[in-house]
Amino acid sequence: MRIRGLLSLVIATIMISAYVLVVRQNQPTAASAAGRSADWAPSRTPDGQPDIQGIWTNYTNTPFEVFDEKDNPALYSGDPDGTGRGTGPGFLNDSLGRNLTKGRSLVVDPPSGRVPIMPWAEEKRNYRLAHIQDDWVNFTPWERCITRGVPGGIFPTGYGSGYQILQGPGYVAIVYEMIHEARIIPVDGRTHVGSGIRLWNGDSRGRWEGNTLVVDITNYNAKGNLATNAASQRVRSVPQSEDLHVVERFTRVDEHTINYDAVIEDPKVFTAPWKVAMNLNLEQEYKLFEYACHEGNHAVPNTLSAGRTKDRAAARAGSQ
Amino acid sequence: MNWLKGAAIVVVSGILALAISQMMRQPVEGQVPGMKPPRMADGKPNLNGIWQAMGTAHWDLQDHNARSGPVLELGAIAAVPAGLSVVEGNEIPYQPWAAAKKKENYENWLTRDPEVKCYLPGIPRATYMPYPFQIVQTHNNDILMAYEYASASRIIKMGKTEPPPVDTWMGQSAGRWDGDTLVVDTIGFNDQTWFDRAGNFHSDALHVIERFTPKTPDLVDYEVTIEDPKVFTRPWKIQMPLYRRQGQNAQLLEFKCVEFVEELMYGHLRKKTGDDKPFAAARMRWP
Repeated sequence: MRIRGLLSLVIATIMISAYVLVVRQNQPTAASAAGRSADWAPSRTPDGQPDIQGIWTNYTNTPFEVFDEKDNPALYSGDPDGTGRGTGPGFLNDSLGRNLTKGRSLVVDPPSGRVPIMPWAEEKRNYRLAHIQDDWVNFTPWERCITRGVPGGIFPTGYGSGYQILQGPGYVAIVYEMIHEARIIPVDGRTHVGSGIRLWNGDSRGRWEGNTLVVDITNYNAKGNLATNAASQRVRSVPQSEDLHVVERFTRVDEHTINYDAVIEDPKVFTAPWKVAMNLNLEQEYKLFEYACHEGNHAVPNTLSAGRTKDRAAARAGSQ
Repeated sequence: MNWLKGAAIVVVSGILALAISQMMRQPVEGQVPGMKPPRMADGKPNLNGIWQAMGTAHWDLQDHNARSGPVLELGAIAAVPAGLSVVEGNEIPYQPWAAAKKKENYENWLTRDPEVKCYLPGIPRATYMPYPFQIVQTHNNDILMAYEYASASRIIKMGKTEPPPVDTWMGQSAGRWDGDTLVVDTIGFNDQTWFDRAGNFHSDALHVIERFTPKTPDLVDYEVTIEDPKVFTRPWKIQMPLYRRQGQNAQLLEFKCVEFVEELMYGHLRKKTGDDKPFAAARMRWP
C-alpha cells in the first residue's frame, strides 16, 4: 500500500507538472490574442536592453486602409489602363498555413482608417503610376531596388517579409529581407545627424521606455516614397518630404509577439499625423533569402523599352 | 588591532594574487601590451563597431604601380594610387585559362566589373572596398556585418548551418570562435562577383575562410584563405589590417548607388523630354 501510495503521488506530481507546463506554454498565445500579458517580461541583454531578438514576419490579411468606393485599386497597383501589367491588388495570400489576422485596417488613426493625403500628393502619385514607361524616377524606389523605405519597409507585403532583429551593446539592428538592408539604430542617447544629411531611410535614433523601443526618425530626403508595395494601396508611391518625421514603437508583449506601431507626420504631404499598427510574429524557422533585386532588375528596362517601342509606333503612325 | 592587521594582510595578498595572475596571463600573439581588445559579457572579443580597410587592395590585390584613371577629364582625381600586394607571395595561382580570363577582365574593366553597376560585392571584396562597414555582435549568437556600399549585408550564423539552398552574391556565412579569432566560413556563392577592380575573379565553387583577429581595441588583423578548384591550382591567402573608424558620432550613412548607375544602365531607354541635362560627357579610356 505504501509503495502504491508513493507511486500514485509520483504519477500525480508528473500529471500536475505536465498540466502546469502545457498551460504555461499556452499562456503566451492566449496573451498575444489579448495583445498584452500582465506577468510576462522580456529577458534582458547583458547591457540591459529588453531582448527583442529573433526572426520576425508580419504576413497579414488586414488591408492597409479602410476601402472607399472612390478608390482605384488597379491604378494604385500599377495597372492604370487595365492591361494586366500591374502587380495586382496585392491582398495577401499565404500557403504556409499561418493563421493570418484579418482586421479592419492597419491604419488605426485617424479612426476612419484613411490616410489624410493632400490632393497634390495624390496627383503626384497618379502621374508617376501612369508614367512608369517614361522614366525610372516614376517607379517606386522598391521597383528601382533602392529601398522600401522607413517605415514603409515593414509594411506587410506578399513575400519576402522576414525581419531579423539583432542587439549589440548600444545598438538594435533590423535586417530587412527586402533589398537586404540592415538598419542599425543607436540606443546610446546620441543626437540626430546634422540637417545637411538627407537619407532615403532617414536617421534613426532609439531609446528604451520601459520595455518599449521608441525610434525617432528624421533627416529624410525628398526622393523616397512613404509606401512602395501594392498592398499599401492608395499610399503606394505617395512622396515623402524632407519634413517627414516618424516615431516607431516596438514592444515585445510575449515570447512570440511584438506590438509595432508608427506615427507618421509630414506637414507637406499629409493634413494630419496618422498611425499604423500591426504585430510582428516570431518565426525562428523562417529563412531570410538574399534579395539581390538590382542585380536581376528586368522590370525597369523592360518597362522603359516597351514605352519607347510604343513611341516609335506612334511616330510611324503619325508620319503615314 | 590584530584583526585589522589580519584583514590588511588578506586584502594586500588578494591584490597581489590578482596582479600576479594578470601578469601570468599569456598575451595573445601579436597583441600590443596594455592595448587589449575589449570583451563581450560572454567572454568573446568584442568586435562591435565601424571598421574600414585602408590601402588600395580594392584597386588590385597584387603589387601595382600608380596609373592614369579611366576618365580623361578627371585627371589626377580618378587616377589609381600604387599599392603593395596583400596576396601572400604576390602570386594568384590561376589555372592557365583563368589567367587569360583575368587579363581579359582587366582590359575590359569598365564593362565587366560588377562594382560599376552597383552590384552586390561578394566576400571578401565587401570588406576592403573604400567604404566603412559595421559589425553588430550579439551576446553568444549571430553577428551582423552591414556594408555602407550598396546597403550590402550578411548575417553570420554561429555554429552549424545547413547547406545553402541556392547560390547568392554574398554567400552563406557560418562563424565560430578559434580562441580570440572569429573564423567565418562562406560558401554558396554565384560566379558573378570579383575580388577587386583589376579583374580578379572566381567561380561558383568559391570557398572563403576569413579570420578576424583583434590586435588592439582599434585594430583587427584580417586574413582570408580563398579556394576555388575550378579557377585556381591551390588555395591562396590575403592579409590586411582593418581599422576602427574613430569619432563618437561615427555611423554608416547611405551609399545606395543604384540611383548613380540608372542613367548608365537604362539611360538609352528613357523618354527624352527635350530639357534633359546632358549626362557626364566625359570620355572613357581604359586601361
